[in-house]
Amino acid sequence: MASITIRDVRVSYNKRGSYALKGLDLDIKDGEFCVFLGPSGCGKSTAMHCIAGLIHPDTGEIRIGGSVTTSVERREFVPPQERNIAMVFQEYALYPNMTARGNMSFALETKKTPRDEVARQVDKTARMLGIESLLDRKPAELSGGQRQRVALGRALVRNPSVFLLDEPLGNLDAKLREQVRYELKKIQTQMGVTTVYVTHDQTEAMTMADHIVLMKDGEIVQQGAPTELYDRPSHLFVAGFLGTPRINMFDCVIQARDGSLRFNAGDFSIPAPENMEDALRPLLGREVILGARPSDLSIVENGEGDIRGVVDGVEPLGDAYLVYINIGSRVIIVKSAGGSGALSGSLALKASPDRLHVFDKDTEKRIGA
Amino acid sequence: METALDARQKTVMPRTPSTQKALHAAYYALLIVYALFCLLPLWGTLTTSLKTSQAVETTSPLAMPGSPVFVGYRGALEELKTPLLNSLIITAGGALGSVFLGSVCAYALTKFQFRFRGLFYLLLTVAIYLPYQAILIPLFRTINALNLYDTKAGLILLHTVFGMPMCAVMFAGFYAEVPDCVVKQAMIDGSGPWRIYRKVVVPSTKIATMTVLVFQCTSIWNEMLFALIFGAADAMPATIALNNMAGTLAAERNVQMAGSIWLAMPVLALYIILGKYLIRGYMAGSVTAS
Repeated sequence: MASITIRDVRVSYNKRGSYALKGLDLDIKDGEFCVFLGPSGCGKSTAMHCIAGLIHPDTGEIRIGGSVTTSVERREFVPPQERNIAMVFQEYALYPNMTARGNMSFALETKKTPRDEVARQVDKTARMLGIESLLDRKPAELSGGQRQRVALGRALVRNPSVFLLDEPLGNLDAKLREQVRYELKKIQTQMGVTTVYVTHDQTEAMTMADHIVLMKDGEIVQQGAPTELYDRPSHLFVAGFLGTPRINMFDCVIQARDGSLRFNAGDFSIPAPENMEDALRPLLGREVILGARPSDLSIVENGEGDIRGVVDGVEPLGDAYLVYINIGSRVIIVKSAGGSGALSGSLALKASPDRLHVFDKDTEKRIGA
Repeated sequence: METALDARQKTVMPRTPSTQKALHAAYYALLIVYALFCLLPLWGTLTTSLKTSQAVETTSPLAMPGSPVFVGYRGALEELKTPLLNSLIITAGGALGSVFLGSVCAYALTKFQFRFRGLFYLLLTVAIYLPYQAILIPLFRTINALNLYDTKAGLILLHTVFGMPMCAVMFAGFYAEVPDCVVKQAMIDGSGPWRIYRKVVVPSTKIATMTVLVFQCTSIWNEMLFALIFGAADAMPATIALNNMAGTLAAERNVQMAGSIWLAMPVLALYIILGKYLIRGYMAGSVTAS
């Protein structure tokens, strides 16, 4: 088990013309399940490869379990094979010439572990993953899900100090992904090994992580517990990236009416939450971006709502409905639990005031607590 | 009015079954004539090699021998025994040496980032097209200085060095198909570059090794320039010995032809045994490195 400390790590792929990682600073606690989340090209895989020692950063320092593994200034670099880490690649990277057993025992054999011990460990891990019957097959004879399990088994069998998982579920179908996601989290919790998991799938991040690191353009935009990022996004990008369906965003002007503040979006005007008044008052008359998640908007009786619109379409999800409502200049999405299948015509919406998110239009940073 | 489509339909008229059959017959006739033309010298060699000296003088070279005799083969083997053994040793040594060095070189070039990698690759490619005649004299002096003139070791060294660039470029094509993540995975699993090469890269590209090995064996076995210059007597390979036989009046034509067959046999055997790998290898190079 080991904590990971990353300090001012920069990586450039084009001789410092531009940086894929722009001074990454991060602390991952011992035993934590940390997810690097972000869109393609945000630097999340680069950061993981730096931890693995597969990339030499241009600046900075990385420590695993307190020991320096990469330090550009001190010219120290521990090669990947000496870091005691296990990694699962998105492509699984199974050795094509070896059987599943050969793949799983390769690392132990490299460490000159006694043969009986290797067999015992491999059998134990295979039992845990339910792949005992596949041990004599070569990767070409395995399905995608089976390969994924073998790749995972190969990582688990080593008892490493850190697990690095680079989009390991990316090639699985939706049903299998859900199942493996659950099992993976369970195994990680049982073993208590510090895990870094790279994904662009926010559902994976939300369901598995103890600690999400949301990245964009080589920088961390926000990090913290999944609920913290979801409930209190510090940046417009975070609000937009987390949550399905996507958060509704409105350009609004802050106006004062009868002594209280309101957000005026043109098509509608809603009162600002009282607890945000102090933060919003200096911005009176200025434009901000108001965010309301589809599940934080509710359909109400016509006289009660602040937002009026016409139903544009309804998508049933089984346990809920996604209702697309045309409010004039745009269509917004509302997630409504049950009973909305027959919705049509005009209706009214109400937003939960304490669930609204307000962002500065220029800096895109969150306003208020 | 005739449209462009109408005009095209007129020009690409569907062929009738009889036209199709006639065309097929013409293709096959052409191919058979071409195949006969190519096989005729081989046929002549084979028939002549199975005749007695008298029969060679009195019958057409293409005529079947009345009763096949192997006197030519016995005579040729007597003459070529030592050169054939030399060829075998030189080919085995040169092919293994160049294939090994080429493979290691290609592994480094395709799987590791290092300074001047592109330059090394360029130099290897240039070395393939280097005309040997241009470097014969300095090479001769070097081999002489190493005291390797007219030795099998000298020829093995030459073939290893000059075969390596071609092997490296061929291997690089195959190794480029081995996913980088497999090599990275092996690193993470605790292996150094050498172990990854031995345990992962080479075993997962067996067909590539087979393909390059056969190619290199054939090239060295048939090679004449180095053989002629650096294998004058003691290390003389069979190609030169056979050429010497053909150039003298001492050897009868049936013996010369039998000698040609003896010389061709190992390469033919190699192709027959490893032919299936070769075809898979040529295909694998373009699609996958498995």
